[in-house]
Amino acid sequence: MSALSGVGSRRSKLLFAGAVYLGLIATTAVFLFPLLWVIGLSLKTRLQVFATPPLFLWRPTFENYLGVLSQADFMQAFVNSLVVSSGAVLMSLCIGVPAAYAFARFPFRGGSFLFFSLLVMRMLPPIAVLVPMYILFSKFGLTTTRFSVVLAYTTFSLPLVVWIMRGFFEDLPRELEESAWVDGASRYAAFRHVVLPLIRPGLVAASILCLQLAWNDFLFAAVLTNNATRTLPVLMAAYSGGDTGVDWGGMTASGALVILPVLIFSFVAQRHLVAGLSSGAVKG
Amino acid sequence: MGGTTTAVRPTAMRAAQGPSSGTTRTQRWLDRQFVRFAVLPTSAMMLLIFGVPLLFSFYLSFEGWSPEQALFAGNFAGTANYEDLLTDPQFLQSLRVTCIYTTITVSTELAFGLGIALLLNIDLPWIGFFRTALVVPMMITPIVAALCWKLLLDPDHGVINYWIGSHIVWLGRPDTALISVMVVNLWQNAPYVAVLLLAGLRSLPSEPVEAASIDGASRWQVFWHVILPLLRPYILVALLLRTIFEFRAFDNIYVMTSGGPANATMSLSMFTYLASFVRFDLSLGAAASWLMLLMSLLLCLFFIAAIRRREAN
Repeated sequence: MSALSGVGSRRSKLLFAGAVYLGLIATTAVFLFPLLWVIGLSLKTRLQVFATPPLFLWRPTFENYLGVLSQADFMQAFVNSLVVSSGAVLMSLCIGVPAAYAFARFPFRGGSFLFFSLLVMRMLPPIAVLVPMYILFSKFGLTTTRFSVVLAYTTFSLPLVVWIMRGFFEDLPRELEESAWVDGASRYAAFRHVVLPLIRPGLVAASILCLQLAWNDFLFAAVLTNNATRTLPVLMAAYSGGDTGVDWGGMTASGALVILPVLIFSFVAQRHLVAGLSSGAVKG
Repeated sequence: MGGTTTAVRPTAMRAAQGPSSGTTRTQRWLDRQFVRFAVLPTSAMMLLIFGVPLLFSFYLSFEGWSPEQALFAGNFAGTANYEDLLTDPQFLQSLRVTCIYTTITVSTELAFGLGIALLLNIDLPWIGFFRTALVVPMMITPIVAALCWKLLLDPDHGVINYWIGSHIVWLGRPDTALISVMVVNLWQNAPYVAVLLLAGLRSLPSEPVEAASIDGASRWQVFWHVILPLLRPYILVALLLRTIFEFRAFDNIYVMTSGGPANATMSLSMFTYLASFVRFDLSLGAAASWLMLLMSLLLCLFFIAAIRRREAN
């Protein structure tokens, strides 16, 4: 029994539970309504979307989804999003995991400065890094490539990986590597064959959280891509140009398809959510 | 919050001498360099995508420079860019909007988030369902979330106008436009605060609460005098993170209003974006982004000092 419900008589406990359920149901209804309504729109025909009064009961149609999935633009953006997000995750893992291990195990000179700079990198407004990054990238012919977006995404995914993985490494008992060292394994071999296999849950958690951030990013992709390399959020934002237009069905169906993968990732990684959220906060 | 120590532990000291038997000279050398090799890629990457760009934009903010010119071909302009900014009514407006937006969204997110966290902390049947359902808004791609709300708020076909039975052009009026973008944000990020604070609530010791209720404290008294003080470190962290993230407000504003009407929703990020990537005045953009950097750095330092002071007490 948790904190607040432990107080009072049986009758007041029942009343309290009732009030809590009422509060929960009301809050959930308010918070889920916008999303459910819009998903409802994606299952309506064009006439039904604009019906007055709005329809609350209708026979759902999947024509919007079929329409979106047959659009070359959408599929191209979907592939771009996939490539860019997984590229950012892979790159940050390869670069950040050894560093996180070093931070967790071997205090070294300049270590706290480097770690602090990583946190700062996570905290600063992305637009501030994006302005010079855009200029430098365009002078080196990198803009409009997917690689430039991957590079830009490491500004948030690298700190996240280092932060989360450092926590996982610190929780790992030291004796495991130490016995490997005593047996004559090099630092590298011990890291690769003893530590990395044990840390796999951490790798999964870090990848999912990074994947989610990268998938949801709009600003970097909006500036660094063109029509061929744009990601899903950039494509979606094009819908908002001026008017919302008349194709609400197509728009809401693409929106639903954009958020579906992140929702799946998030529920898989729900346990690790808090670690990811507070990453960057001082010693969470 | 449990601090993690970076102090050198005895085992680490022993380990730092490395494996001693059965290894060649090169392997011993390589082992000594392990930390250096492990950290090198991260350092190099940070220099490449963070250090160099920021130094360059610092340089650029004191130049008059246009995109056709070579990287260092601009003319030295002294503090002209900064002076332009600080006398530009649009920039000052964006500063004002960002302050208002950040203050209001952060405080409402904290209030709602704390309320939701308290509800979700009570162990009742089916609570797991609510815990899962209530985090959904924060997972949604911000661009898509803003589009959803744009449809809900549509003056002609939006369900909100239908319910209140009027024809309000929510995003076309300065007052309602700012409220609308803030509501979208609140909707997405109150659950974020709730998740953080719920984690805090779950980790609180149960003895003080039990002791207080045995002593006859009411639920309200227990909350106000026992739970809230214990929760304060978590609230501070939520405050820090939300302030940092609201300060950079962009996605919802871009989709819903693009800073309009009449600059009523012009945030600093939006201003910098328009200056840099629509008007292509990149040296002005660089100056604006440096002002933003300094402001968010100050915010960070302020909160970190507050958190440190609490930990010290």
